[in-house]
Amino acid sequence: MALPNLLRLIYRNVRVNTDPASLIILLGLPGMYLVFFGFGFSSLTSQGGSATSYLAFLAPGILAFQTVMAGTVAGSILWADRRFGMLAQLLVGPFTRLEYLLGIIVTSLLFGLGGAAVMLGVAVALLGTTTLGVAGIAVMLGTIALGSVLFGALMLLLAALVKSNNAYNSVQILLIFFVNFASTVFYPLSPRLPEALRVLFVVNPLTYVADVVRHGYGGSLSAVNPLEVVGLLVEAVVLLLLATRAYLRSDVSLE
Amino acid sequence: MNAVADALPDDPTAPISCEALVHSYDGRHRALDGVSFRVRRGEVFGLLGRNGAGKSTLIKAMTTLITPTEGQLRILGLDPRHDGRRIRERIGVVQQGESFDFTSVEGNLDIYGMLWGIPREERARRREALLARFGIAEIRKRRSFDLSGGQKRRVQVAREFMHDMEILFLDEPTVGLDVLMRRTLLDSVRDEVRRGLTVVFTTHNLEEADYLCDRVAVIDLGRVIVSDSVENLKRLYSGKKTVDVTADAEHAERFFAALRERAGGGATLTVHGTSATILTDDAKTTLAAIVEIARGSGAALEWLNVRGNTLEDVFLRSVGNGGRSDGAAQPP
Repeated sequence: MALPNLLRLIYRNVRVNTDPASLIILLGLPGMYLVFFGFGFSSLTSQGGSATSYLAFLAPGILAFQTVMAGTVAGSILWADRRFGMLAQLLVGPFTRLEYLLGIIVTSLLFGLGGAAVMLGVAVALLGTTTLGVAGIAVMLGTIALGSVLFGALMLLLAALVKSNNAYNSVQILLIFFVNFASTVFYPLSPRLPEALRVLFVVNPLTYVADVVRHGYGGSLSAVNPLEVVGLLVEAVVLLLLATRAYLRSDVSLE
Repeated sequence: MNAVADALPDDPTAPISCEALVHSYDGRHRALDGVSFRVRRGEVFGLLGRNGAGKSTLIKAMTTLITPTEGQLRILGLDPRHDGRRIRERIGVVQQGESFDFTSVEGNLDIYGMLWGIPREERARRREALLARFGIAEIRKRRSFDLSGGQKRRVQVAREFMHDMEILFLDEPTVGLDVLMRRTLLDSVRDEVRRGLTVVFTTHNLEEADYLCDRVAVIDLGRVIVSDSVENLKRLYSGKKTVDVTADAEHAERFFAALRERAGGGATLTVHGTSATILTDDAKTTLAAIVEIARGSGAALEWLNVRGNTLEDVFLRSVGNGGRSDGAAQPP
């Protein structure tokens, strides 16, 4: 029996983006952050007498970071398909433009959840223990799914607007760096941080993804701020609408 | 310019019907400027024209990638404005530019078949047959982006046959192919046509069009200049001969100027650099004039040849000067 159009597009996206080189970047980079930063900074904090493992703090942050990596998958699919002719080829096939876009978003979501699951396994293996409960897992999964859609939409917007390969790569790297390090993935939002940096933390959606995932990971669900989740949802919807508009307005046939 | 009307009767069952089709990308310049033609079921219809003539825009309109600004377009009886998906489900398109997924040759074929909903076992059967038919079995494990231009083109065309279709649009499919593979591809298309496939084929290569097409439309500046069967078009010029002449560079300009003045008997002169093509009713008189002018002007004739007409002559005559250095003289 033939799969529905959307599932075919998703299968194609997953198959094309799960080659060894892509997986090394998608899983290897966050994995290395977890291992090197985790152990490196743990040794630093333990010298200061802190009993809290930095690794335990970092692990949920890295799960949140997977949403950014999933977003890059979404952007890369659209960018590569535009650049290498597959977008026009698919759109003269039995697919609509919206099916194509939805296929990318769902792929991003799958990569976010899949990557987070792998990182969770790595974290549990490194920490040797977990306080995860069913509710905590549900909150984490929901937030990671939301974050994946949000960053997927952001990267799709970039891929739809940018014209040159160099510009796309440069802006993407800059975005990843900014989103990653101006968030609570690697360190908490401390009052000792410079004011400008704190503002960046506050406007960065990854901060909220990391916070909620961290609460889910640590079992402190009562500490989850519903406004953070609502904010993420609103941002995801707005970015998705902007990305859809930019994509629908781009002239596929001229590429 | 010649304007040979498409003699097809108004056929509501025609797989493709274009009526006064207009398209403008910027609202000012018309890439298509009132194109009308019909394509019969099971024929190979060639779109011939120079770069920028409007061929690819026409293909994009017929494959629903762009919506024409004005005019009527019916594909398989459906209106692309409202039935885009239903049309696309029944057509195949080999686009002019390359299009690949980041995977192996066989992976590209398999993924493409999957996208079209072909079951796994059938995909495998078709993939093996196409790898053999297009001579790409040896490179099946290579990644598509590591292939040469000709190999990529073969894979791209082969891939399109992974699914079933009623109309196949081929936008310059033989670019980059060697002679053998070009013929293989054209023969493959012919085989499919015998099974009932309708093909729309754009090309610069008029030999290919001659070999493959049942009918052609010559397009220039967004308009159909000539549309008829290849045989009819050739017959249109059957009483004429083509004289090719090349003069030495020093005297060429003066020589052709004098020749233009003398060319008579329905002759049409098209100059390109130091060479000229003369379409004439009376080859003997034309040859005598050439020799006489050469003697008088001191020009050395580097090449002189008389031949029957080809589709290329029809094409050149249809699009006139073809952007070359001199205009076509009208018969006196």
